[in-house]
Amino acid sequence: MFFHHFKYTLKYLFRNRLLIFWTYAFPIILGALFYLAFSDIEKNEKMDLIDIAIVEEVSDEQGSGLPEGAVSTEQENGSLEEVSADQGSGPPEGAIPTNRELLLETMEKLSDEDSEDRLFRTVYVSEKEAEKLLEKGKISGYLLAGGETPKVVVKESGINETIFRQAVGETMQNAKLVAALTEAEIERQKKEAAEVPVDVETVSEKILREIQEEQASIRDTTGSNLSYTMIEYYTLIAMACLYCATIGMYAVNCILANMSKKGMRISVSPVKKGRLVLGSLCASYVVQLLGLALLFIFTIFVLKVDYGPHMPRVILLALAGSFAGLSMGIAAGALIQANETAKTGMIIAVTMLGCFLSGMMGITMKYVIDKNMPVLNKVNPAAMITDGLYALYYYNTFHRYWFNVGSLLVFSAVMIGISFFALRRQRYQSL
Amino acid sequence: MKNVIEVRNLTKAYKELRAVDDLSFEVHEGEILGLLGPNGSGKSTTINCLLSLLQFESGHIRIFGKEMTPDAYDLKAQIGVVFQDVAVFEELTVYDNIDYFCGLYIGDKNTRKAYVRDAIALTGLEEFVKFYPKQLSGGLLRRLNIACGIAHKPKLIFLDEPTVAVDPQSRNNILDGIRILREQGATIVYTTHYMEEVEILCDRIIILDKGRVIASGTNEELKELTDIEEKVTVEVDRISQEQLAQIKALEHVKEVTNSKNVVSIVYREGEDHFGKLLAFLGKEKIRYHKIYSERPTLNDVFLELTGKELRD
Repeated sequence: MFFHHFKYTLKYLFRNRLLIFWTYAFPIILGALFYLAFSDIEKNEKMDLIDIAIVEEVSDEQGSGLPEGAVSTEQENGSLEEVSADQGSGPPEGAIPTNRELLLETMEKLSDEDSEDRLFRTVYVSEKEAEKLLEKGKISGYLLAGGETPKVVVKESGINETIFRQAVGETMQNAKLVAALTEAEIERQKKEAAEVPVDVETVSEKILREIQEEQASIRDTTGSNLSYTMIEYYTLIAMACLYCATIGMYAVNCILANMSKKGMRISVSPVKKGRLVLGSLCASYVVQLLGLALLFIFTIFVLKVDYGPHMPRVILLALAGSFAGLSMGIAAGALIQANETAKTGMIIAVTMLGCFLSGMMGITMKYVIDKNMPVLNKVNPAAMITDGLYALYYYNTFHRYWFNVGSLLVFSAVMIGISFFALRRQRYQSL
Repeated sequence: MKNVIEVRNLTKAYKELRAVDDLSFEVHEGEILGLLGPNGSGKSTTINCLLSLLQFESGHIRIFGKEMTPDAYDLKAQIGVVFQDVAVFEELTVYDNIDYFCGLYIGDKNTRKAYVRDAIALTGLEEFVKFYPKQLSGGLLRRLNIACGIAHKPKLIFLDEPTVAVDPQSRNNILDGIRILREQGATIVYTTHYMEEVEILCDRIIILDKGRVIASGTNEELKELTDIEEKVTVEVDRISQEQLAQIKALEHVKEVTNSKNVVSIVYREGEDHFGKLLAFLGKEKIRYHKIYSERPTLNDVFLELTGKELRD
């Protein structure tokens, strides 16, 4: 009986055009509108690539033949001079990757066409050619990486030149850090086991990897994926989850005698109401999950939205959010004495209001509510969903994320509890 | 005779209005009981109380010898209901609708399949199984409504005004189907305000007004409640007030009315009213076009008992 009811509930839900529109089409349409509205903003925010040149082999007259007006940052930028390899206290010779290798490797990564972090459009040329390119204004500057002390040569002091110098400077800083930490580690290992020869290369590689991993981890949690558009997509997910309420409401309306004629017919059948509600709940959830899947597929593959490294947690939160939406719909179906259209209108209005308060039309609203009426967002399932999603990107731990998942489940339990209590009234005063 | 339904002192009120007022009756096994009454007489409310859908103020309802309650699932399994309003899923086809509702009673797939096929045949919906409800005419929709209510072959069937707004062809089909259900052994409670239907269909009739039983019995028993023996109607060219008074003075005449030269004469008792009337028309040289005789109807009974027409 459960599967029979489940199967037909699925059938009639899938064939209800209005429900399918609100559940499947509307979030996708809204997502596409967000994309059209905000993608230009994102694009404008992206920097243009900086044209640079790298001179790997430096001619004998390095440093003396700069183009007219050009300056070498080795002379002008103290930080670069500070990080030059021969000025460090010095690990064992030849054992640690040289500054030059690290620098070239980093510059190569920053110039990688396939990388999202690409910063430079780089050409590898001789020093003379680099001078000519700089003279003609084809490049913002060039790096002389051949000598013992790498040099950045720029002609002007604009934004591109500053970025170029900063990038090289930071890389050199890392190299210095690796050298210092490697030296310290070697000293420590020497003290602990004097007889065992120290593998300097392994130590330095390990330290370098640790530094890189630390940087990656910091990047993940600094909200680098949380652009304005992403906030909109997260609120869209929250909205799609809560629109599930219309499905739950419709499914429950169909089995209640005081809500529909079909409900009268179903109510006189020998099937327990709890079993019917459970069947409707499961079928509605399946319909919703498919809608969510479509939304994720559309945003990821068509709109190229990057949900970052927390995709499984985003999905888990969406599942909990959908359950909250569904339970809200079931409660609305069981408690509100109004026709189906009125109930659908109410649900959509409440959902939109919830999304608005959680920051759909401007993230400021969420902060305003959090600051002035925190209780409102504590009971607002849309806020629970969006807050859970933000928490993934703002915080290094998942406590707040799990708190929001838990809140959604508690919200769902309360809604379903209220619904079952209301449905226990089996005879009606009027029909 | 075994009682399938026993209702004792049932009272249901909507605020000040008593929709069902101290109603008592029983339904015998295998019979078709007609609940006849004008709109608002309490027929549907009575049915909804019997089905445990509505709360009621007082009274007892026993079905198949057991107290009917909302969780009396064993009783519900033996009951089929065809509500006054069409109650089907717009999103499901004719076949799916019947299969869905039948499936709430019948778990076994093969049995259900056979039952659904029987219901489709009974209601003459073979050609429309793949249609959606909105593609059906009013009559076909009513037939689908019936099929959904009776597909699980219940022992007791409630039919609440199943022929409202139905074309003559569909009405005949529905009435034939109800007869077949009775032949198959079902007990049927049939509510309507069409007296012709109860006259041709029902074994016993309960006439309701303002939630109370005003008369009950077989068709013949009810007609005996009135002192009308025969009603003769004659269409004449013209007739004077004097001549009408002379007719009124004829033996056994209870009442004479004239509406645009259509004269109705109601006789209390006696025989050969037709011959005597024709003799009078000949003697008075009154030209007539049509003349016909009728036996008293349930409407006459209702009129006699309540002073108003059934369809008022």
